[in-house]
Amino acid sequence: MLLPALLLLAAQPLLAQAPPDTNAPTGAEQNCGLTISGKVLDHDSRAPLVGATVYITQLGKATVADEAGNYHFHDLCQGTYTLKVTYVGYQQEDFTYKLTSSVTRNLQLHSDTHLLQAVEVTGAHLKDEAQASQTLSGRQLEETRGLSLAESLAGLAGVSSLQTGPTIAKPVIHGLHSNRVLLLNNGVRQEGQQWGTEHAPEIDPFVATEMKVIKGAAGVRYGADAIGGVVIIEPKALPDSAAGISGELNLLGTTNNRQGAISATAEGTVPNLPLLSWRLQGTLKKAGNARTPDYYMQNTGFNERNFSAAFGYHKQNYGAELFYSQFNTKLGILSASHIGNITDIENAIARGKPFGADTVQFTYDINRPYQDIRHDLLKAKVYLNTGDIGKLSFTYGFQNDVRDEYDVHNVESGHPAMHLAISTQTTETIWEHKPVGNFTGSAGINTIYQNNTWLYSDFLPFYTSFNPGIFALEKWRKDRLQLEGGIRYDYKHVQVKDLVENTYVEKHKYDYQHVSGTVGAMYDVGYHLTLGLNAASAWRAPGVNELFSDGVHHASGIYEIGDEHLLIEKAYNFEASAQYFGSPRFSGQFSVYNNYINNYIYLAPTQTFTLSPKGAFPTFKYKQVDAIFRGFDLSLQYKLLDELTLESKTTIVRARNTGTGEWLVGIPADSYDNSLRYEFGNDDSSGLWGKSYFSVGGQYVAAQTRYPTQTDQDYALPPDAYFLLHAEAGTTLHLGKQPLEVGITGNNLLNTAYRDYLNRFRYYTDDLGRMLLFRVKVPLTFTRN
Amino acid sequence: MKKLFRPYLAILLAGSLTLAVSACGGGDDPKPIVEEQEEITTVQISLVPEGKGQNVTATFSDPDGVGGADPVVDALNLAPNTVYKGTITLKDESKTPVEDMTAEVKTEGDEHELFFNVTGANLTVTKTDLDSNNRPIGLEATFETAATSSGTLRVTLKHQPNLKGATSDITKGETDVQVDFPVVIQ
Repeated sequence: MLLPALLLLAAQPLLAQAPPDTNAPTGAEQNCGLTISGKVLDHDSRAPLVGATVYITQLGKATVADEAGNYHFHDLCQGTYTLKVTYVGYQQEDFTYKLTSSVTRNLQLHSDTHLLQAVEVTGAHLKDEAQASQTLSGRQLEETRGLSLAESLAGLAGVSSLQTGPTIAKPVIHGLHSNRVLLLNNGVRQEGQQWGTEHAPEIDPFVATEMKVIKGAAGVRYGADAIGGVVIIEPKALPDSAAGISGELNLLGTTNNRQGAISATAEGTVPNLPLLSWRLQGTLKKAGNARTPDYYMQNTGFNERNFSAAFGYHKQNYGAELFYSQFNTKLGILSASHIGNITDIENAIARGKPFGADTVQFTYDINRPYQDIRHDLLKAKVYLNTGDIGKLSFTYGFQNDVRDEYDVHNVESGHPAMHLAISTQTTETIWEHKPVGNFTGSAGINTIYQNNTWLYSDFLPFYTSFNPGIFALEKWRKDRLQLEGGIRYDYKHVQVKDLVENTYVEKHKYDYQHVSGTVGAMYDVGYHLTLGLNAASAWRAPGVNELFSDGVHHASGIYEIGDEHLLIEKAYNFEASAQYFGSPRFSGQFSVYNNYINNYIYLAPTQTFTLSPKGAFPTFKYKQVDAIFRGFDLSLQYKLLDELTLESKTTIVRARNTGTGEWLVGIPADSYDNSLRYEFGNDDSSGLWGKSYFSVGGQYVAAQTRYPTQTDQDYALPPDAYFLLHAEAGTTLHLGKQPLEVGITGNNLLNTAYRDYLNRFRYYTDDLGRMLLFRVKVPLTFTRN
Repeated sequence: MKKLFRPYLAILLAGSLTLAVSACGGGDDPKPIVEEQEEITTVQISLVPEGKGQNVTATFSDPDGVGGADPVVDALNLAPNTVYKGTITLKDESKTPVEDMTAEVKTEGDEHELFFNVTGANLTVTKTDLDSNNRPIGLEATFETAATSSGTLRVTLKHQPNLKGATSDITKGETDVQVDFPVVIQ
């Protein structure tokens, strides 16, 4: 493969930077018996930095700080010397001294917050699985504040966003989404009506301090149905020391839809019980009509009201956590997308923009059609650490998801056109065994119990399902090689109560079971390069909508028919990846994958129409074929200068129906994002301006040229390619002792009119025009004991 | 080591299974939808000739709504060179008793309009009723035939809330009804 070779080439200048020979000749003139010595310390904690390198530039002499952080140079002549001190995770600093006699000088380094974040983003050495994954945290996560979960993740290579207008977005990993992507919110798998492409994840992104995406089938550890990948949303760990009460205030305002958001967090420990910690968090968001470059989109406002509370009790060997969160949102749906039949869609496409768009005004009011969603999550976790056997943990999760969808009909009744309520109880028992020789690993049992009911519309039947699973995962690591393997067995029982012709109830039972597995290998070629190979499988039972749909899907103007004889869908994902990391100048991550999906379930056109008084609806039926998803993700960071970094991300996906040889519909087009970041200022809290950055970049999304042509599966051709200019800037202001992080993100700065293939409203309207997001983050400390 | 391990594991496993099993209650059965959304299932065209001739009625009917049984449609059998006075009736036959929805469309005439498109047949349809803004509705119309011919009449009812006006036409708004009647003029 070409890439590792390129990476090695790029590594050459770095290898040449190795410390020079300490025996280099020194000027042997007058008074050359001086000594400079001292400690290398962390500026804030005063902790010794064991292994820091101290290098005298004038002499080419270097030494390494010992176990106590001590360094010394002997036999120096009088003169001026510059000591260059470097240590991983700290900013390199130069200290210049005029030496006339032997002296002791302590050298203090500042931790490099950016570098630490960079480590988290591409951290090969924190990577513990062979499978490709990417993490959004730190500054990169801050820049996405104000965007939805899916839009935030879409900045990562290999991840795209499936939009339904400006208010609804779902994450797409390697071309797969909805039922095929598993979301783990605070350790509990998110369960709502995720089968629906217009049902966004019910998660407040402000809760997360880290979002990790595991790309490709990952059925063993996280749940059998992770066919496309897993999104892991992690909140910050609860405070673990008696540091009083602290908090954080996030304020956000945007142009375009004039969104305002406030999110506040307070956390601390209970004064007399320092092991008992707590956190309260809440978010309010309100946005009005969004605007394309030329017109407002009617009824595209939204609001969100979320809060969460967490409590933890942590002893060294045991502990417990309790977490509750509630998510409420009301989402306006573009008025022009409310259609009666396919002729309406064709008229909208021919018209080019919504009828009357030029007269639409800005407003925060949300009218029909809209969605009103509430999601509750209660999580309880206990764990036990015993030195002998390892760590045992048990997690119970309860979720209740209520979705009300209002359309413009039957307004007088006041009730929604569709009301869906699904409650889910999950348990997870995990045993992480104590390392035995070179082996580490875990085993566990999961159960999921679900109950789904509806009111007003029987688009989806009542059902209950019970899904227990058992798994084991082992890793073997020796020197530079890690081998991993795992196996999982799941059983799923589904009981359906289907109301037929609004008169009688038919009961059906389904049982599914299957095994999934994973094997992987990771090899650390050198300090800078890690290679990984991974094969993993996953499977999922057909969704109840895929078994039982029978009706018009009003958003798409088609008549959908389910098939209760669908078989389970199985994915086999093969992946090779290379991670280059460790040099301050260049890092990168490349992965190439082949995801074979056996019995891939999709809506196939039957080429017939269902006649009705509302016109003729094209009829689609759920079918199964074999499909293959392949592609690669590439992300690179190259430091052109100390302050100037080039960042590049590429996402390429190809997906085919292997039965007919046709491309699959709705696959993300090729996307490239490149940006230049300039950093300046420092972390020294003495001045007004702290660490600052400015970045400017562009995203190019090609036109999707690979779409099915033999059968009509779409009403319009994929939209043209587009280029969007974006820029970000941020700094930390120190107002006395109070730091203040401020930032601006600008999206679509050239106000380009465009449509995206993965936006389901591309038939009706252009996408968002220019938007500026202003944000302020205020870390707070209320009391100090 | 094993001694220590067993009780914990047993408790955790038992806990997990109890929670899972106790949750397996089953729940209620779905109840028939009482207050079903109003839906136009039936479109009837009644024509009375000016002067001599026979009255004509044609119905498009799909009482079980979209899907299920196919809709039934009558042909419009018209006499050549005749002017008919026409009225359109809209009904919801999925309800008992059958609900007449014509009045509702008439009341909300300022956001509804019917459109008549003829292909093949020598038939001209002219709307004669007006809404509160003096825009045509189309529940009443004259049907004028010419020479012997045959073809199709498409009747479309558009819901155009805040959209109906001087520039609204058949391509605007949401389709409530779109039905095709075969037309035979002989």
